Amino acid sequence: MLRLIWQELKFRRNAIIGWALGLSFFPIVYIGIYPSVAEEMAGLADLEIYQAMGVNLGGFEDWVGSILIVFVPLVLSIYALINGTGTLTGEEEDGRLEMLVTLPLPRWQIVTAKALALSIATVIILFLVSLVGAGVFLAIEGQLETELVAMDMVTGLLAAWPMVFAVAMIGMFLAAFSASRRAAALIATVIVIVSYFGSNLANSTSALEPFEPLFLFTYLDSTARAVQEGQQAGDVLVLLGTGLVAFGLALFFFQRRNLTVGAWPWVRAGSV
Amino acid sequence: MSEKVIETKELTVFYGKHRGIVDVDLTVEKGEVFGFLGPNGAGKTTTQRVLVDVIRPTSGQASVFGLDCQEQGVEIRKRVGYLPGEMALYDKMRARDFFRMYEYLRPDNGSQGYWRELADRLELDTSRKIREFSRGNKQKVGVVAAFMNRPDLLILDEPTSGLDPLVQQTVLRMVREAREDGRTVFFSSHILSEVQEVCDRVGIIREGRLVATQRVSDLMVQPFKRLQMRFAEQPPDGTFDRDGVTVLSRDDQSITLEVRDGLPEVMETAARFGIADIETQHVSLEEVFLAYYGQGNGENNA
Repeated sequence: MLRLIWQELKFRRNAIIGWALGLSFFPIVYIGIYPSVAEEMAGLADLEIYQAMGVNLGGFEDWVGSILIVFVPLVLSIYALINGTGTLTGEEEDGRLEMLVTLPLPRWQIVTAKALALSIATVIILFLVSLVGAGVFLAIEGQLETELVAMDMVTGLLAAWPMVFAVAMIGMFLAAFSASRRAAALIATVIVIVSYFGSNLANSTSALEPFEPLFLFTYLDSTARAVQEGQQAGDVLVLLGTGLVAFGLALFFFQRRNLTVGAWPWVRAGSV
Repeated sequence: MSEKVIETKELTVFYGKHRGIVDVDLTVEKGEVFGFLGPNGAGKTTTQRVLVDVIRPTSGQASVFGLDCQEQGVEIRKRVGYLPGEMALYDKMRARDFFRMYEYLRPDNGSQGYWRELADRLELDTSRKIREFSRGNKQKVGVVAAFMNRPDLLILDEPTSGLDPLVQQTVLRMVREAREDGRTVFFSSHILSEVQEVCDRVGIIREGRLVATQRVSDLMVQPFKRLQMRFAEQPPDGTFDRDGVTVLSRDDQSITLEVRDGLPEVMETAARFGIADIETQHVSLEEVFLAYYGQGNGENNA
């Protein structure tokens, strides 16, 4: 299986570099400009629109939390989602999967190798972006009054990885379950968007409070505390558990389905 | 005693309510080239995909090398080379990288580097990226991938599709060589001439059901004969009107008949008019095939 994981990582090499470069935009621009806009930001801290967007303008630590711990994983979730759905159903739709599944590899190994490769790819991307974040921090550190150190950029961002993992595995599950990459990607996108805004709005709207535990982003702490101390163990467990359950379901459905014919489960179940 | 390499019993696949194959009982023996004939949608690809466990049967059984296709698929695929009919490749890879990847993912095969020899033989430039290849060259990549681990069983879905005639001949030669090495080949096609050229036996599948399995040589003498006869005295019209006999043409000199049934009676009738000459015309496999599908000169839905 290690051979397949390695092969999958090689396929993702360009994507890893591209996404790492693209996501580095966040720390370079948004953290880099902080010293010059800090005063203006302080005056906007109480605006609810920012809170609804998950942006906290209370201070540098909060700003780092908003940018690094929320937006980078949020955008990286798009990569996880595209790859999570594309790695099974996408390859099935374009025909490449047939060549792979007819090699002497059990299906569970194929799913596991792809899941591990995707997970490793997201860790590498986060790590590279966090290094850029640390570099930017070191460049502006002299203009800041903060207790943060450069290493907080790395550990704080890597601690947000379980969120990306959960989204990636949900994508894989939907891909293994469904007959269509487009449908799987659409459902996964809705889950991410609803989860993100639902979680933020639930903080300011009592009507949404009962649903808060259902939103994935509820379990991603973006406060200054999270930047310095990392995510809460309970939240990490919820996200990892969600990801593992989704992975288990992906295994279950992929193991049983007919490949290359793209039938939905209820059609498959209706076979006479 | 012959060794069964492929065996299916009442193998049935439905896609929801759509028919794939129904009650297919098939046996392919070791060392033979078995041609699987049928038009598009007849169930050829479905049958082959069940054998490599891409598709799971709705009912019935399928085994390869005596192993269950679902339960022991990995063991089976170690010994199988498979060429899909609708092949898609990793377009961004160079062909040689694709073959190296395939080799890398088959760590226990004992044919390292054999793909180079095959690629040379098919005149495939492996330094080029797959996306730059024509359809025919992509097909060559698939052929090389199927043969490159010297498998005991080759399952080929229309292997010559998209290839030019010279390369088609090379591929058919490779199929014959595989047989000479004692390996088994199960290949589907609707190009009847190539089936006739390389196959020992042929199965004809029609609307998901296997309607005939015969040796190619036997199939050629069935289900009809075509006779051209010249007579000393031309028989009157209607002489050969009977069930199982069709008059294909007649002129002052001769009559051409297609005889599906009652050959002794036909000969007896013909003898009364003094047969000057009789010739059994060659019936191509294509004509036999079309007869099985009710599109020949006569209707035969055997």
